[in-house]
Amino acid sequence: MAQLISLMIDDKPVKVPEGTLIVNAAKKVGIDIPVFCYHPKMEPVGMCRMCLVEIGRPQIDRETRKPVLDEQGNPVIQFGPKLETACTTPVSEGMVVMGMSDKVKKGRQDILEFLLTSHPLDCPICDKGGECPLQNLTMEHGPGVSRFLYDEKMHLAKHYPLGDLILLDRERCIQCGRCVRFQDEIVGEPVIGFEQRGRSLQIETFSDPGFDSYYSGNTTDICPVGALTTTDFRFGARPWELKPVASVCSQCPVGCNITYNIRREARAGGRYVIKRVLPRQHEEVNEIWICDKARFAGYQYAESPERLTRPMLRRNGELVESSWDEALQVVAERFKAATGGLVTYAGGRLSNEDLFNLKQLTEGLKGQAILKSSIGGGVLVAQMGVAKGTDLGKLGAGDAILVIASDLQEEAPIWWLRVKQAADRGATLIVVNPRQTRLDRFATHTLRYDYGSETATVLAMINALESKKTRLPDWLAKYRPNRFQTAAAKAFAGAKNGIILFGQEGMDLPRSQELALACANLLFLTDHLGSPNNGLIGVWESANTQGAWDMGFRPSTELKEMFSSARAVYVVAADPAGDDPSLADALEQSEFVVVQELFLTSTARLADVVLPVTAQPEREGTYTTGERRVQRFFPAIPAPGGVIPDYEIAARIGERSGLKMENRAASLVFAQLAARVSDYEGLSYRSLAETHEQWPIIGRDDLYYGGTAYENTQGLGVQLMPSSQKRKIFQVNWQEPPVRVSGKGLLGVPITRLYDRGATVTPSRSLASRVPGPFILVNETTAQKLDMHNDAPVQLMLAGSAYSAMLRVDTAVPESVVLVPRSLGIPLSELQPVDIRVAETTPA
Amino acid sequence: MNLLYEKYAAEIKHILAKYPADQKRSAVMPLLYLAQQEQGYIQKQDLQMIAEILDISATDVGSIVGFYTLYHDHPGGKHRLQVCNDLPCALRGADEFLEKLCENLGVQVGETTPDGLVTIEAVMCLAGCDRAPLFQVQDAEGIRYYENQTVETALQLVEHWRSDGATPAPSPLGLRAGQEKSSTPLPDETVTGLSAEVRDETASDTAATETQETD
Ligand code: SF4
Ligand code: SF4
Ligand code: FES
Ligand code: FES
Repeated sequence: MAQLISLMIDDKPVKVPEGTLIVNAAKKVGIDIPVFCYHPKMEPVGMCRMCLVEIGRPQIDRETRKPVLDEQGNPVIQFGPKLETACTTPVSEGMVVMGMSDKVKKGRQDILEFLLTSHPLDCPICDKGGECPLQNLTMEHGPGVSRFLYDEKMHLAKHYPLGDLILLDRERCIQCGRCVRFQDEIVGEPVIGFEQRGRSLQIETFSDPGFDSYYSGNTTDICPVGALTTTDFRFGARPWELKPVASVCSQCPVGCNITYNIRREARAGGRYVIKRVLPRQHEEVNEIWICDKARFAGYQYAESPERLTRPMLRRNGELVESSWDEALQVVAERFKAATGGLVTYAGGRLSNEDLFNLKQLTEGLKGQAILKSSIGGGVLVAQMGVAKGTDLGKLGAGDAILVIASDLQEEAPIWWLRVKQAADRGATLIVVNPRQTRLDRFATHTLRYDYGSETATVLAMINALESKKTRLPDWLAKYRPNRFQTAAAKAFAGAKNGIILFGQEGMDLPRSQELALACANLLFLTDHLGSPNNGLIGVWESANTQGAWDMGFRPSTELKEMFSSARAVYVVAADPAGDDPSLADALEQSEFVVVQELFLTSTARLADVVLPVTAQPEREGTYTTGERRVQRFFPAIPAPGGVIPDYEIAARIGERSGLKMENRAASLVFAQLAARVSDYEGLSYRSLAETHEQWPIIGRDDLYYGGTAYENTQGLGVQLMPSSQKRKIFQVNWQEPPVRVSGKGLLGVPITRLYDRGATVTPSRSLASRVPGPFILVNETTAQKLDMHNDAPVQLMLAGSAYSAMLRVDTAVPESVVLVPRSLGIPLSELQPVDIRVAETTPA
Repeated sequence: MNLLYEKYAAEIKHILAKYPADQKRSAVMPLLYLAQQEQGYIQKQDLQMIAEILDISATDVGSIVGFYTLYHDHPGGKHRLQVCNDLPCALRGADEFLEKLCENLGVQVGETTPDGLVTIEAVMCLAGCDRAPLFQVQDAEGIRYYENQTVETALQLVEHWRSDGATPAPSPLGLRAGQEKSSTPLPDETVTGLSAEVRDETASDTAATETQETD
């Protein structure tokens, strides 16, 4: 604990830890010192001078080194001749800060007059107008008139595209450098910078492609003026027309807290529509950041004209619209008749309430509840996941984070950011991947392995540890560690806290299960379990995959057999036929297929019944993040007529099949869930809605301080306790991974890309240009061997079928490996031999 | 695939050797100077290539080009005549000097004479404030300084270029003779590979920012 310092700010006594900056000390006692360039998440730079204050310090007697006292015995305070910047000056004992004196007021006036020298003041048409720090501070502290010549204002580019998503208005920019520092300091991708100097200073990018970063949207939140705007929101609405609705991002397992800004619109017939997505503060989850997928793809799918709005039944081979009554009746009858032959296949996009009801229904009908996931280990995460109280933002020197088989930035961008920052703070970062990723740059230890030997790598690390808590199986001896593995293992074992994040790079379910188990054992043997900031995190493919595990869904390695032999298949929020043509064949063979979906997916096309559902922004529910935090989201916009939330559909089918199920409200389903799912015991919508004050304080009247991210008033959620924290003894299981022989030739490897063709991404207008067509990645040598060049159209031969794709050359790919992004049209789900051919030229 | 590296492998290695391996980004200045030798200005692909060599972002490289008047991001005339009109020089008549010079050459600041011979530019402090009006000349032969200039001496220099293309030594024109130590380094040889001269030059550019803030 740092020493506490006492000082006076505007006559208020303040006590803060040593090293605190004056601006933050003031904030803690509710005193606002205006800033532009300072941001509580970044190092101070003192560039704008808006935060000038008068600072007095006790006069010290040179001889005695004691404060000089006046006649009353009070210390004599000496004020400097000049104003000082509150954002760069740390507090000191006995300091007296005056933030309201005439001198300070004059200083602020002058700075604002300078900043506005050439400002366009086009507030009436500026996207920031209404929530603009410059506008607000000018109203509060500005001089009212300017002595500068109006005619000499500079005229600069008003719509300068820094990248596909962010535009810059050069007249509005006040050169505070927040955007540049965010990209450099926080993200570590300095793709925007200052160029020129003095009056010509401008924000510019020389990177190619320009401002291309998954975090780019955050710069528009912290830009204190309307200089940076998103292609999504610009000229879309005025801030004061917008209402905030709390939600949770549905795109990945991080569970970033977000706010939907909504307003009524004529084009929507007077209904509410979402105008933009902003971060909602949760210091333990996403702080005040979100990635561009959340911002630009998180909601637009809900507005897609392709949405399904009527149930459909297959009649004479055709899907035709029907009433809900009829559709549900058919489904219920067929499900009941299927006795024991029902397979429910659900995706992790569903909420806990949906999954709970689906599980109740499936169990009631003696069916099987199958999870769509190619990553295993969810049960292990429930036992050995990160303990309650975990906060990646607290990890630093002395702690260790191990990331394995994951291109984390593509799979969970905000975790990537927080892991990177933990490494910046001194945490030991161990990155174990078969190829270079963007995290490597920040790693203390980088271990490489050949595709397929991820588990072997972890087993070798286990072998490298001396203190053995438990007898290791004999077969383990053959996994001999090399010196890099040994060094990494020792670093991990020696850390105060240790977290492992495991992903699914190049893995199918069986491999992934083996890896999860090996990671769990490594955590067990190194004592990184059961206390906060220790444990296992699954980098799942969907927002609520962890919740699905917790609700009792399990993935299966025998999907094909299951589908083809099922008497009824109930596919919810998944598209197996679109993922893999062989699953489509299997579904064709099953007797009866029901698809519950937003869109007419490939699976829906071959279904017997299609049931349209409510989209996430249109309903309430909860998700459980990869760190096992249960968080609520709220309805933001009305659902199109005719759709029903998933949990309700499941309940209605259940009722018609003679089961007693809750269909009235998500909160009531959650109450049942909390009563039956042991880890969720005691939770309620109320407890999930609790909040406490977070630092930095943001989102109040002082938008200039933290930016436009919202304060969290709707709930921080509750992190669950893994069984290891409940002091349940964990038994290590050992499972020897089977020996697999890999073939010769090219090895196809499935990988994950953030902007894929997932059902909720494709409809995004803003991301349209960022979502690529099918492509594959090879390295230069492989390309040369194939006699092919970058950007060549090729055909990927996979299990006898040909898929068109673009060939891209990427030096990070190992030789003879072909990386195939998932969900971009090529159905590769495991390591598999592939072949590449020159694309047949299509006749013009 | 790095053409710059392929072409100047020896020079680049020599430059990189001057910096600790974990701080090779510091070599950005000499590498930019090297790249500029090719065409007299720095092209977009140069930024990318330098970024690759130094393992930094192209934007980081590009910011430096804009910051220093030593570098150019667009083609200019055969000689770039860069007049300092920062505050101290302005007090010694630099603005007037610049204006007259332009008038005589029939160009605006930033423009090149129609024959492609001279580009006139206004730049920040060149660290010779007490000897204003002054300018620096950048061309294929490197950088030279001309201090205590008049419009006539400057025009003479241009005429000289125009007549035989060769550059006369600066001393007969500039009134440097007889002055002892100067804070402005005078390259005593033709500058091709970049060395100390350019880094000194950046030092004077840094001084310029300070001047800048006060105006
Ligand atoms: S940036 Fe702020 S002050 Fe400038 S025009 Fe926009 S609203 Fe007005
Ligand atoms: S664009 Fe905005 S954040 Fe960036 S420097 Fe300009 S004012 Fe600051
Ligand atoms: S100088 Fe303190 S906020 Fe900018
Ligand atoms: S101001 Fe011109 S040389 Fe310093």
